[in-house]
Amino acid sequence: MKRTFRSLAIILIGGITCPSGFAAQSDSAALFKSTCVMCHGEDGSGNTPSGKALKAKDLRSEKTQKKSDAEIAEVITKGRNKMPAFGQKLKPEQIQQLVAYIRQLPKK
Amino acid sequence: MQVTTARLFRITFVNSLAIICVSIFFVQSAYAVPSYSRQTGLPCASCHYAPPELNAFGRKFKLEGYTFSTKPEVSDDKKNHNSALHLLEVFPLSVVFDTSFTSTKAPQPGTQNGNFEFPQAASLFLAGAWAEHVGSFLQVTYDSQDDHFTWDNTDIRYAKTNAKFLDRSLTYGITLNNNPTVEDLWNSTPAWGFPFVSSNVAPGPSAGAIVNGGLAQDVAGIGGYAMWSDHLYIASTIYRSEHIGGSQPNPGTDFGVNIRGLAPYWRLAWQTSSENNNLEIGTYGIHMKSSPGAVSGLENGYTDWAADFQYDRTLPSLKGDVLSFRGTYIRENSSLMASFAQGGAAVVSHHLNTAQANVEYHFGNRVAATAGFFDVTGTADPLLFASAPVSGNANGSPQSNGYLLNLSWWPQQNIDLMFQYTGYMRFNGAATNYDAAGRNANGNNSVYLLARFVF
Repeated sequence: MKRTFRSLAIILIGGITCPSGFAAQSDSAALFKSTCVMCHGEDGSGNTPSGKALKAKDLRSEKTQKKSDAEIAEVITKGRNKMPAFGQKLKPEQIQQLVAYIRQLPKK
Repeated sequence: MQVTTARLFRITFVNSLAIICVSIFFVQSAYAVPSYSRQTGLPCASCHYAPPELNAFGRKFKLEGYTFSTKPEVSDDKKNHNSALHLLEVFPLSVVFDTSFTSTKAPQPGTQNGNFEFPQAASLFLAGAWAEHVGSFLQVTYDSQDDHFTWDNTDIRYAKTNAKFLDRSLTYGITLNNNPTVEDLWNSTPAWGFPFVSSNVAPGPSAGAIVNGGLAQDVAGIGGYAMWSDHLYIASTIYRSEHIGGSQPNPGTDFGVNIRGLAPYWRLAWQTSSENNNLEIGTYGIHMKSSPGAVSGLENGYTDWAADFQYDRTLPSLKGDVLSFRGTYIRENSSLMASFAQGGAAVVSHHLNTAQANVEYHFGNRVAATAGFFDVTGTADPLLFASAPVSGNANGSPQSNGYLLNLSWWPQQNIDLMFQYTGYMRFNGAATNYDAAGRNANGNNSVYLLARFVF
């Protein structure tokens, strides 16, 4: 009975959390697509014609990944060099979603 | 970031003759638009080598429907039966003010030489994102010679980005526009080609292909386009006549071009890029049947085939200066059955060859120096290209050739001070006495000074 209850609990918790986890990932991927892909490309490399024109950074690089979450969030919020600031358009939680997504890029 | 006032081919229908008289290299004006800058938070130089020349980022912005934004929106999510909303908080309005001076080597008979225009033109733009996937480049222009505002270049588009085809990136969309090639991404095709702005006072050659501005702002078209893998661009639009200021339904009278059925325009281009190189080669063209001064009866048929290229080379050793090469060749074959029957052409079958090329050096984004040449040859026709003082062709030949020198200085990215010199070796068929009234081709050589303010 205990085992059954535990299995049910795992399924229930999994059922509740997994979709939202996928949803969060899907949201951040959509956000990345709508705001970052234009220059940084889908893989974050910056290896796109427009990325080359604006000298977009490789978001997968060690240099970028070494930055703290706060530093990456600040670049997104305030912009840097040729990159525009997204602080007026994106909410802080959306910027955090992007930071998390950028952290995943080297593993993709 | 962009558009043109190329009202080049509004042909007046006179005495039942349809004559294609186009100032192909002249009375052109292409713009950069600050509302895009306000929408993206990026300076003009992010999209332009020098306005209106697009770099790779500018092309991408246009391709994606002018919708990329970093600024606040009034927004609502799509839920159940309700639609979403993405509305820019800042209204995407811009203004361009042009004032100019033109002087030709020989005065035009009975007129004063050395003309100031204040303004030459003033344009209002609605240019920016309208919705999540919809944006516009829409222009109305006040012309001081006509003394009224009129509809100018327009490109309204829907774009779908970040799609996939054969596992490669795909951006595709729909365009509503009023000028073949205005939707194009490069500066080697007519709507956005060199010269980007020119005098509307100096005489221009009488012959020009229809795709070379001949239908600008006189048609309405709907088309589709796609960029695959950042390399292959394909587009097609179908056009119908849409005479601004003409009555509806269109009776055809008073207009030299009335498209019969649909006029298909096509475009195919391939591009490649590296850190310092951008290369494009392509082809475009249009097929049109038209009845001059009517919407029924005999037709004139035109088919334009064109090739173009653009190469932009960034020079890191020279602080990122950019050297650009651009060119296009247009072959027009026409069958002027209607004009022949009406006495407007001496022969039915015509052709017209147009070659244009230019090289430009951009000193940063502050100064740009350009040299270009143009050459038009084709079938001689003393009725189609009739004799008249200044604007006529005494021998019926459409041949014109010459060169353009342009120097632009941007003390600010939104202020352009420009010097342009146009020289002719041959004008409307001859080097000397081309109009049978004693005027020589080099009499039309002109100096053109422009101050442009964009805000």
